[in-house]
Amino acid sequence: MDILSIIFMLAGLFFLIVAAIGVIRLPDVFSRSHAVSLTDSLGALLMLIGIALHEGLGKNTLKILVVLTLLYILNPGIAHATIRAAFRSGLKPWKKESQ
Amino acid sequence: MATRSRPISSEFLFLKALALFVFWVLLSGSFDWVHLGLGLICSFGVAWVNSGHSPFVPKFRLWLSIFLYLPWLFYKIFESGIHLSKLILHPSLPIEPRLISVETKLRHQAAVVLFGNSITLTPGTITVEVEQNRLIIHAMDKDLGDDIESKQMESKIADIFKNEEPDI
Amino acid sequence: MKTFLFCVLVMLVILIGAYLYRVLRGPTIFDRVLGLNGISTKAIILLIVIGVYFERVDMFIDISTGYALLNLVGALAVAKYLEQKGLP
Repeated sequence: MDILSIIFMLAGLFFLIVAAIGVIRLPDVFSRSHAVSLTDSLGALLMLIGIALHEGLGKNTLKILVVLTLLYILNPGIAHATIRAAFRSGLKPWKKESQ
Repeated sequence: MATRSRPISSEFLFLKALALFVFWVLLSGSFDWVHLGLGLICSFGVAWVNSGHSPFVPKFRLWLSIFLYLPWLFYKIFESGIHLSKLILHPSLPIEPRLISVETKLRHQAAVVLFGNSITLTPGTITVEVEQNRLIIHAMDKDLGDDIESKQMESKIADIFKNEEPDI
Repeated sequence: MKTFLFCVLVMLVILIGAYLYRVLRGPTIFDRVLGLNGISTKAIILLIVIGVYFERVDMFIDISTGYALLNLVGALAVAKYLEQKGLP
């Protein structure tokens, strides 16, 4: 069981690292928000599944599921609110120079 | 004290208090009378204070089909997550951000909320603006944008809501 | 397992440093808000991993739930304020 949970946590850590690279590398607010949503949806999901496998069935796993559900309902709302504020205050999305 | 704009519906008050009480029990984890009584008082108080905000009553018969929709959504999240990781890790950063305007055929507020939430959850696409059933979507790549415009996700959500009365 | 969890903790702290760079540098204010959102998600995961490390998961999960809810309220308030005020 420990091996399986370590594999899940490593996969989650991989997506978290990719998201951090994206936050530093990408050019503007709109594309950076994609990187942050990659953290929320895939990184946290795999990481928390790994921890739930390590804990086994019980009250703690139920609570981890509650935290996961909260993250999945709340984080799209936060990302949408921030991006809508950026869009309404007149920021234009970044385009490639060649186009 | 502020005046209420809407009357309190007792069904909604009861459901909200029940949900808050279940959350309280889950967090406190103790079952003696003091904790349960305090939780009951607090959850009814909170539900009464903000029961004027929304007339929304959950439709429980939809929950099963929404639950059956989730595995497909997770498959989609994995697929586009791996696609986006390839884009980010590629040395020359081959992204082409674009804004897409989509006019959906969904006729329910809850369906539009579910659609926008699914789009934002999928890495690589994000909902920027919602107005009735027109959505402006920011996509990272041509493939991801075509994925939204192929209407696959929209038809799945329209299937869930096909027996409901339209309210937009 | 204990060593692996410690490595995960160190890795998460380094990743928070990457987001912190975006918060400090960000050209517009929305970049800073976005970076703070990323940091709070990382902090939720970090709290749960700390709980597994010290074998007190039941306590730390409650803290992280409260953190997630408070973060929602704060982020929505900042986004609403910036939407009304516009770009400074």
